[in-house]
Amino acid sequence: MNKVAIKVKNLVKKYNDSTIIDNLSFEVPEGICFGILGPNGAGKTTTMEILYGKVQREQTNGTNGHEARESKEVSVFGYDPLDNELEIKFITGIIPQEDNFDVELSVFQNLLIYSKFYGLSKKQALPRIEYVLEFIDLTQKKDSRIRELSGGMKRRLLIARALLNDPKLLILDEPTTGLDPQVRHHIWNKLRILKKEGVTILLTTHYMEEAYQICDSLIIMDKGKKISQGTPIELIEKNIEKYVLEIIKNNSKFKGDNSPVLRVETSHDRTLIYSDNLDEIKRISNDFSPGDYYLRQSNLEDVFLKITGKRFNE
Amino acid sequence: MNEISPPSFSQRIYSIWYRHILVYVKNIFSNGIPPFLEPLLFLLGVGLGLGNFVGEINNVSYVTYLAAGIIAPPAMFTAAYECTFGTFIRLEFDKVYDGMVSASMTVEDLFIGEILFAGTKGLFFSFAVLSVISIFGLIESPMAVFCIIVGFFTAMMFAVLSLLVTSFVNNINHFNFYFTGFITPVFFLSGIVFPLNTLPKFLELFAQIFPLIHSVNLMRAFCFNQFELSLIGDIFYIITFILIIGFLAIKRLRHKIIT
Repeated sequence: MNKVAIKVKNLVKKYNDSTIIDNLSFEVPEGICFGILGPNGAGKTTTMEILYGKVQREQTNGTNGHEARESKEVSVFGYDPLDNELEIKFITGIIPQEDNFDVELSVFQNLLIYSKFYGLSKKQALPRIEYVLEFIDLTQKKDSRIRELSGGMKRRLLIARALLNDPKLLILDEPTTGLDPQVRHHIWNKLRILKKEGVTILLTTHYMEEAYQICDSLIIMDKGKKISQGTPIELIEKNIEKYVLEIIKNNSKFKGDNSPVLRVETSHDRTLIYSDNLDEIKRISNDFSPGDYYLRQSNLEDVFLKITGKRFNE
Repeated sequence: MNEISPPSFSQRIYSIWYRHILVYVKNIFSNGIPPFLEPLLFLLGVGLGLGNFVGEINNVSYVTYLAAGIIAPPAMFTAAYECTFGTFIRLEFDKVYDGMVSASMTVEDLFIGEILFAGTKGLFFSFAVLSVISIFGLIESPMAVFCIIVGFFTAMMFAVLSLLVTSFVNNINHFNFYFTGFITPVFFLSGIVFPLNTLPKFLELFAQIFPLIHSVNLMRAFCFNQFELSLIGDIFYIITFILIIGFLAIKRLRHKIIT
């Protein structure tokens, strides 16, 4: 434990003239689940793709005409994706946002072909295919064609495929986007099991609950920059008050309050009152009838909205 | 944990080739029958129909002349379709390549495997034509069996060229220009349905820059067991073409996948 699985230092990536990733640094210790959170367009996917060589980083660093500092700022288990793309991909299972199976072929054939891409012989591949299908509960779909699978099944199959070569690292790009709650929890459970088995997991998400449920540590990115880092609990404690009172209806009744322990935000027809002092918040909620307000603990989503801003990013 | 030893180059290329074969064989009926029917139609329609008006060319009947010519074009067409529409769909719509390069595979592996697969299809298509014309007794020499090797290289030439074209195309409909503007003229300018020495000299020389004529020269030589020194030039052209255009195509396509 505590060996470094992924190291990213002063990473920069530009497309044409716009900077997609701006001087990003982070480290992922072996055996943990690490999350990259951020709104669409924050540079999450690009960061991941740089790790396995799908995207090439800028090789000289320094954003504003600074001198190049270090050209080797990215390593995955000691390998630099610019030099050892094959080694990294050999030990890494990659789960993309969009599925990319051979739709004409069966589940089994897809997995068989993919295990060949890792250099597994048929004899080695067969038990692995059995195992990964069993693990992700798709054994009964072994002979189905890809086009017969539901969206949730395809996503699970992507995970199964990524596990074929017994990876040390799993990279998942928004693994549960667009899936129903059952499948989401199923996937989270499987990821927890894999983590227990010692697999390092790196995932991007914009579901705060996902990050809260399975990530040991995370960074929040916005516009290519890291804007916060910590465990989910730390991020909440560091960035936001403990409790929130959401006034959903009749928010005109709330005339404001000068109490120093409150922070008030109003947007459209909603008023959010944050505080570490539960009694104060309760006092205000007494003015409203049940159903007009919602009193809860603050969560990562509040943190996320607070620090990335409430505006749209696109 | 695994020992970190990614598959070797040949293993990677083989696995790509194997993937294409598996997908192709999946629809063996619709993929495997037309290559045998097409030469049949050609021989009946053009050979027998038109042949009645033509008489002999180079001391053989027109059907025999034509038969030796039509072994090469199917290899050209199949590779051209595979590496334009096929490649484009894998690249842009199905995202199959993204899946492949997520495994222990480089972009170069992908396209080298694809070029070899196109070659294999060319070999199969040439074999199909050869079988049909043999049944009609239109083959003069057993050396004709080597035409399938030429078919392999013919398809590789058009695979690399088509990949290069694909690397420039952003809209799948633009391939129509390539087929109408290049592939079809190449078919008529390669000494398949008529000998090029009937054309004005400058046109005959001009035709030499196109790839298919060199395949046709080689195939005719094997079919009639008549070899000339100029065939060395044809072989040289084919090998050089595959290497240079292939290098350029892969280099350009790399940027479509790796950004």
